[in-house]
Amino acid sequence: MGTLETMKDIFDNPNKIIEEWKKDGRKVVGHRCMYVPEEIIHAAGMLPYPTFGTPEPIKKADSYFQPCACEFVRNLFDLALDKKFGFLDSMVLCNTCDAVRHLYNMWDTYVDSVPCYMVNNPQKMYDESGFKFYRMELEKFKKLMEDLSGNKITDESLKKSIELYDETRKLLKELNDLRKRDIPAISGSEFLVTSMASMLMPKEKANPLLRKLIDEVKNREIKNADGPRILLTGSIIDNPTLIELVEDMGGVVAVDDLCTSAKYFWYTTKPNNDPMDAIVRFNLERTLCACAHPSEDRYDYLQELIREFNVDGIIYFNIKYCHPFVYESAIFRKKLEEEVPTLTLEVDHSLSGLGQLKTRVQAFIEML
Amino acid sequence: MATKVTTPGKKNLQTTLEIGKAIRAYYEGVKEAKSAGKPVIWSYGLVPREIFHAADAPVLYLEHLPLMIGAKQLSGRYIQLAEEEGFSRDVCAFHRCFLGCAVAKDRDPYLEKLFVSPDLIIASNLPCMSESKSFLYAADHHNCPYYFLDAPINTWGKDIPDYAIEYFAGQLQGAIDSMEEHGFKVDMDKLKESINLTKKMMGLWNEIDNCRKTVPTPMSTVDGITAAYPLIQLPGTQLGVTLFERLLEELKEKVEKKQGVIEDEKLRLMWFGVPPFYNMGLFNYVEKYGAVVVKSMVEYIAGGAFDPSKMDPKKPLESLAYKALVDIVNPTYPNMVDFIVKAVEEFKIDGLIGVVKRSCGLLPGYMRLVKDAVYKDKGIPTSIFDLDGLDIREYDDVTSKANLDSFVESLLASKRRQ
Repeated sequence: MGTLETMKDIFDNPNKIIEEWKKDGRKVVGHRCMYVPEEIIHAAGMLPYPTFGTPEPIKKADSYFQPCACEFVRNLFDLALDKKFGFLDSMVLCNTCDAVRHLYNMWDTYVDSVPCYMVNNPQKMYDESGFKFYRMELEKFKKLMEDLSGNKITDESLKKSIELYDETRKLLKELNDLRKRDIPAISGSEFLVTSMASMLMPKEKANPLLRKLIDEVKNREIKNADGPRILLTGSIIDNPTLIELVEDMGGVVAVDDLCTSAKYFWYTTKPNNDPMDAIVRFNLERTLCACAHPSEDRYDYLQELIREFNVDGIIYFNIKYCHPFVYESAIFRKKLEEEVPTLTLEVDHSLSGLGQLKTRVQAFIEML
Repeated sequence: MATKVTTPGKKNLQTTLEIGKAIRAYYEGVKEAKSAGKPVIWSYGLVPREIFHAADAPVLYLEHLPLMIGAKQLSGRYIQLAEEEGFSRDVCAFHRCFLGCAVAKDRDPYLEKLFVSPDLIIASNLPCMSESKSFLYAADHHNCPYYFLDAPINTWGKDIPDYAIEYFAGQLQGAIDSMEEHGFKVDMDKLKESINLTKKMMGLWNEIDNCRKTVPTPMSTVDGITAAYPLIQLPGTQLGVTLFERLLEELKEKVEKKQGVIEDEKLRLMWFGVPPFYNMGLFNYVEKYGAVVVKSMVEYIAGGAFDPSKMDPKKPLESLAYKALVDIVNPTYPNMVDFIVKAVEEFKIDGLIGVVKRSCGLLPGYMRLVKDAVYKDKGIPTSIFDLDGLDIREYDDVTSKANLDSFVESLLASKRRQ
């Protein structure tokens, strides 16, 4: 099995990772959104597990959430009610959008089997007083993780975890750079699967696999790479179907600014003797999520992606009721269109209505 | 010819009519200030207003403007304009409405009387992210500076830790610095005095509430929503204190005379969610059954559920920070749910009505939590249905009334069985 297939297998069967990890009695901590520092969980000897949804229709969660709440969040809650996250020893959320705040409310009230904790992060970046506030919150979180695992988190163990996670980010970025070529070495859908598999895996296993994969694909050229180069952005995409749809319509997904992709690895931690401060600054000296401020930062970052990946067109895939990206796309649209054509699409997380999406994507790609 | 199905709410109190006049006077004052060359701030009702009063700053509150427009049934046109600018129907109708007002090339004469362009925008993510993002668009459109005030969510309940107070107080100081940079002078002595006045207003509001707990209630939410206006725009002012003193006096007299909103009060209801601003008469609709909507949650969104003893004039920014962070609408859920459960008991509520504004990321999320909590703790039922209180285009009068009919009838039947 080639490494791309191995990554696909891990993506399709994440339970194998959990089973292997839990064999020795080690704990797994689920999390959602980027301000939950995985390094602290890892330094306590536990596996940080990013929770993703499924394209399955929602069954139970709709009697808790109103249908006007983000479908991704409703989907996660549905899985929690259905005990699909029963393997988690704890769930950790953070202060991003209104929907995630409500996910905390619901989880804390109605899911007894897995305790839920909220990391209270600022939404204003580059603010020293915010760094101080977040540090206090992370110290509490660190203590919670120590209590949960029974392991003390030392500066040394935290530094090692930071180093390990940064290595994953660097390797993913190196792999992502192979998409800058006129004919990319890896397709958008293959990359998303690889990125998500790397997020799910213990990094001790992900890093050697990523090195091997880079080696395997560095001289490769994907087929059907003569179409327009697309930057994909918007809400979380945790399934390659939407990317495949763009590729099937003749687009080359040259880069994707997603929570499951570039946002995860674009930056690495700056050297710092104080590892907690390093984590604080890693999270608050950048605006990667549309919920945060200043927004200009995200606009500049999108510009960087457009330039570096030679982008011909942008597609915003906004999950219905995903307010951060619905606002952002409306706010950025005019400015972005001065640079490259931009298409904003409202999608269902459950991937219903793909036929209609296909028509709009096809028309956009033909127009490019 | 289309039949007009909406009606204004019927007010019962003299003081709420006076408050209505104060609202109009406030907007006239902002307009006059702008005409006289003074800079104007745009902000949002949950950004502590005391800092603006301490600078004598004319401020247009961008959640209040849409409800004024809504009450005149003009919201649809401006919401439509924002949609034409690319804002999806999924995002807050209040913010779409205000963005429509902001970008409109020509405005209705009524809006023109209220509207002034901004010289500085101060917005926050309290209680939801909509304002912090939609104001960005407005700042860009009007080419004016923008200060973002970051409020941590409340994960602590009533005991807000010092580091969170310090953080938000620092954000307030940042807002003051931004104001001073843009032509305003914040008088710190006046700010301290405004803390005293706010404290007094909160105390009076609690007494007003106590009057409303009596059976029959002397004041329904039709008056209550107007009465809550000083909490939103006039805290820290003598005018706010005076209006509340008058209201309290009027209510005390009614309580003494046992004068209720309706003669034979059979049911007491509470409203959770955005009121139908274009059709406040819907609240009066249930009166034919002997039912009164005694309270509405929105009357409390600007500190109305707050313990005034926490205000310390010696620490004005910390006091305002505490008041903002502990507000019931600041997520997460415990303060909101506890408040509603307590209110249901204290106001002797027979049934809770929860209305879902589809475009709201905040309040619909509480519906199930509140419904379960009031039923579990107090045995009180809740009826939940869709109703966008601002976007008149979404309003379905027949269905809304049918929902109210069936709920009220079942509550009455249940009472008869008791």
